[in-house]
Order: sequence, then C-alpha cells, then structure tokens
Amino acid sequence: MKLPKARELVEAIKALIVGPYTSKFPYKPHVPYKSFRGQPKYDPDKCVGCLACEQVCPAEAIGHEDITDGGEAKRVMYHYTDTCIFCGTCELACIADNEGIKLSNDWELAFFDRKTESFETIDKELQLCEICGEVIACKDHLRWISERIGELSFSSPTLYYSKLKELGVIDENIVSALRDSGRSDRFKILCARCRRETTLT
Amino acid sequence: MAKSVIPIGPWHPLQEEPEFFTLTVDGETVVDMDVSIGYNHRGIEKLSEMKSFDQATFVIERICGICSTSHPFAYTRAVEDVIPVEVPDRAKYIRTIIAETERIHSHLLWLGLAGHFLGYNTIYHWVWKLREEILDVCEILTGNRNNYAIFKPGGVRRDFNMDDIPLVLRKIDGIIPTVDRLKKAILDDPVLHARLKGIGILTKEEVIDYSALGPTARASGVAKDVRKDAPYGAYDRVDWDMIVTENGDVFDKVVVRVLETYESIKIVKTCIAELPGGEIDLNIKDIPPGEGIGAHEAPRGETFHYIRSDGTNRPARHKVRAPTFMNLPTYKATVIGETISYATIILAAIDPCYCCTERMAVRDVEGKRLFGGPDLVKLSQEKTARMKREMGMP
Ligand code: SF4
Ligand code: SF4
Repeated sequence: MKLPKARELVEAIKALIVGPYTSKFPYKPHVPYKSFRGQPKYDPDKCVGCLACEQVCPAEAIGHEDITDGGEAKRVMYHYTDTCIFCGTCELACIADNEGIKLSNDWELAFFDRKTESFETIDKELQLCEICGEVIACKDHLRWISERIGELSFSSPTLYYSKLKELGVIDENIVSALRDSGRSDRFKILCARCRRETTLT
Repeated sequence: MAKSVIPIGPWHPLQEEPEFFTLTVDGETVVDMDVSIGYNHRGIEKLSEMKSFDQATFVIERICGICSTSHPFAYTRAVEDVIPVEVPDRAKYIRTIIAETERIHSHLLWLGLAGHFLGYNTIYHWVWKLREEILDVCEILTGNRNNYAIFKPGGVRRDFNMDDIPLVLRKIDGIIPTVDRLKKAILDDPVLHARLKGIGILTKEEVIDYSALGPTARASGVAKDVRKDAPYGAYDRVDWDMIVTENGDVFDKVVVRVLETYESIKIVKTCIAELPGGEIDLNIKDIPPGEGIGAHEAPRGETFHYIRSDGTNRPARHKVRAPTFMNLPTYKATVIGETISYATIILAAIDPCYCCTERMAVRDVEGKRLFGGPDLVKLSQEKTARMKREMGMP
C-alpha cells in the first residue's frame, strides 16, 4: 500500500528541486531542433520563378501574380503563411537545386491582419513576347533552361537571346511596334503562339 | 421500473471530441446505451480524391493528429499495392521507426488520459511530461512533433540526418527508467486495481463477434496484429513480441499498452541500429489503373485503406477505415451492466478516435440523422444485390 505513493513522493521532491518542466516561453525564446520544419522562405536570387513549387504544394499555399502593365513586367510569388502546412514539398520540388524556397526554423508566425500580413512575396522579372506582349516565363527561368541544355539553346532564339541579355548585349524588354509575323520576326523573343505563327508564314 | 437517460456529449468534456452517448440507467447501472457520431464529418475521402496521389498523403496525414503516420502508412501501402511495388529497404526501416515512435507517444497519451479520467492527475502529468521526450524524438527525426510529412507513395520524402541519431538514442534510452517507474506505479497501484480490474470485460468471443482490433482485442486474448499476421515494413526483420493478455478488462488494456510501449522502444532501437543504406524513394511517376489495399497496425488497431486508380494522377476512389470503427460497437458489450462512474473509463478504454472514424453522415436540414443502422444494412444489401445482377451472378 505504501510503496506506490513513495514513488510519487520521490517524483514530487525531484520536481521541487529540478523546477517545472515547462519552459518560460514567451519570456524565454523557444529554439526548435535544427531539423524543425518552419516557415518556407524564398531566396530571390536563387528562385527562377518556374512555379514548380506552386504546382506541387498540397495546401495551395503558393500563388503568383503576373503584372505586365504600367511599364513593368514582373511575377510576384506569394507564399501564404496561414494556409501553409510546412510539409516541405515545395523545397523538394524546387528546380533551383532546392534552394529557391527553403524551409526555415521560423515558427513564430502570428500576425494581426490576415489581409496584409499573412503572406510573403518576392518579385521576379518576366520576359514578354516581343510581338504580342504575352508572358513567356521569368527571365531567370529562360536563362536557367539555356544553361541546362547548353548548345542546344542556340536552336531557339528565345533562349539564346535570354542568354545574350545576361551578357548585356541586348537588354530591353520591348514589344515591337513593327510586326509582320514573318521572317524578320523570327529572331525575336517569342511566346509559343507567335513562334508558331512566324514559323508557319 | 423507472429508467432515466443520461446524455454525455455532444462534446465530450474529457475526450475532447464530438460524440454523443446516451446511457439508459436504472439507478446507478447502465442498462442500455447508444452512441451517435457524425458531428465532425470532414469529407476527407472526397478531399483526397481531389488531390494527386502525392499530395493526398498530407490530407490523409490529417485524418488523425495522433495517428499521423498510421493513415499515410496504410495509404501509401494501398497505392503501392495498385502498381505493385516494394519500397526500398531504407524507406521500410524509416517508416517503421516513425510508426513505432508514434505508437509510443500515442500509448503514453492514452495512459495519461486514462489517469485523468480516473481523477489520478499525477499519472496524467507524469506521462505527458514523458511523452514530450518522444515528441522531441519525432521532431528531430522528421521535423515536427506530429504530421511528419515523411511518407510518400514509393518511399519516404526525407532521409534521417545521421548526425542526429546519437541524440535520438540518448533520448529514447533516457525515457526507459521513467517508463519503468511508471509501469510499476500503474501496475501496483491499489486504487487503480480497485477501479480497473474486472471492469468493462470484453470476452474473447465478443472480440471475435465484434471483430475488435488492436490493443482492445489483444487484451482479451485474441492475438491479432497486422505487424505479425501480414508483416510489412521492417516488422519481420526485427525481433519483437506481440503482447496478449487474457482478462479483457480495462486493467488489461492498460497492461497491454504499457508493455507495447516497451516493444516499440525495442523496435525503434533495433531499426536504428540496423538501418540499411541505399535509396529511400522509388520516384514513382505513374500509377496504373487498378485497385489496391493497404493496412497498418495503428496504435488503436488495424487501419485500412482502399484505393482505386483510373490511371490519372488522382485516386478515383479512396476508402478509409479507422480502427475505432470496429472497436466502437464493443461498448454494447462492455458498458452495459456497469455503473455510470465506471462507464467513463470504459468508454475511453478502446482509445477511441471519433473524428478519424467519421466517413459518412447524412442529415436533413433540421439536423436529423437520416440513416440509422438498419437503413445502412438495407442499403448495403440492395447494393450487393445490384452488383450481383450487374455482374451476372446468381
Ligand atoms: S511547405 Fe508545403 S504547404 Fe507550405 S508552401 Fe511548401 S509545399 Fe506548400
Ligand atoms: S525556382 Fe524553386 S522556389 Fe522558385 S518558383 Fe521554381 S520551384 Fe518555386
């Protein structure tokens, strides 16, 4: 009868000496283990804006918006903190050596205003079709492809002009005023539809 | 004889899940009871059919916060059964390790809650403190305390960081003395003996009649465990024992769970020691049309998943059966005849998980339940007859 209670007594005395098991949070910050899966963060320099992460995300926590008016052409990548389930699928699928978006150790994600604070964004420059002004892809993405496929990229003006732009040989992101959708347009950066049209004429 | 009805629910104050018990009592004794669930239908099966095979794993993981490995384990096995493929050895071991750490924390969680139900809050706090260590192990290995996001059809998503393994082993070894002490504290406690022994007895025949599963069945002397009966993962490569006791009362269910914690610790340690190298993922690209089933011994019993694929990247049909679905009806055998004060712990003894069980709820606009048990049986018989006709069977 006495023995079991003695065990609890020992535990109680130990607790008196050691102190409470619970931490002093929020007065003392909580440091998670290194492997903890927290808020995914974009790296604007590594990310090429390919949207692979958006496709695989099971919680639809990644979105994007292509802005092409007002003289700029950019893709805004959104990561929604409130819908993210921190599964890491985006990181595993990222084509930029899994470094475009990476899970961090950041877990304190409380915010006040859902409309303005529940997401993080990065901007990526877009490449527009020089004939119709359609979005082709992010400039970094085209460069990424041309690097991957090496000399094969010379078979596509869109790809090797993207490469040339990096070297500063040509730089503008203009939609041509002159268009004949014929021979002279073939050596332009074109979207798939215009490429087909120019090739067929 | 005047009988009164005691309602418990629809929000159970202790189990903290939506369910509704109606106990018909005669004086102190329960003479009849009914359970009504369906308050938390989440449409998981439909959701999973809207996601790709890979993405569905995460929905499945959220069927249960405690069994967040068991459901994906059964689901991935079902998908692998469609193809069919064998996952790489390392993935098998990793899956087994996660599944067993989950069993440890789930059993500890239940032990704590059982203490809480009995008003023995010392056990509750003690066990839940211990459980934190195991949750830390889960966090170190997978990146989170629950919802491990590590299963995927064809293998596992992430490999262990081998630098963390010594810390994991230290933590697991660290809890063994406390589990020992806990075991003694629970198994010798005169109050617990008085309150749990001979209470809510489920006989072997009843287990077989109700097809009860998991620790509920094993406490009544029915040796069934998917891990032994149809081994998968690394369960046939490591040495462990199935815990079976004979009495079938609540106390034996406690004993089974305490002793299973030891077996799980043993499995985790052996698996970590023998962790083979190599690939962790098959990188499955296509799932052919077909059907597959997958089962896993969750902490509460066998969980079962059925997948039908039509060759697209989404499941055409996904059926989930959580272990509580089979264990719930045993209340009829265990609660009736006991007093109300015992009913609380008996209702908790199967380690129920109502939200995970809820697959279907049909209600009219007033909230009245449309299909009761007999209706469902009738529907099922009609469907069988229709299928037989369509298949040209006699
Ligand atoms: S961690 Fe998962 S849920 Fe969050 S953004 Fe990445 S893929 Fe989506
Ligand atoms: S590069 Fe990576 S982070 Fe950037 S859009 Fe593609 S997948 Fe997402």
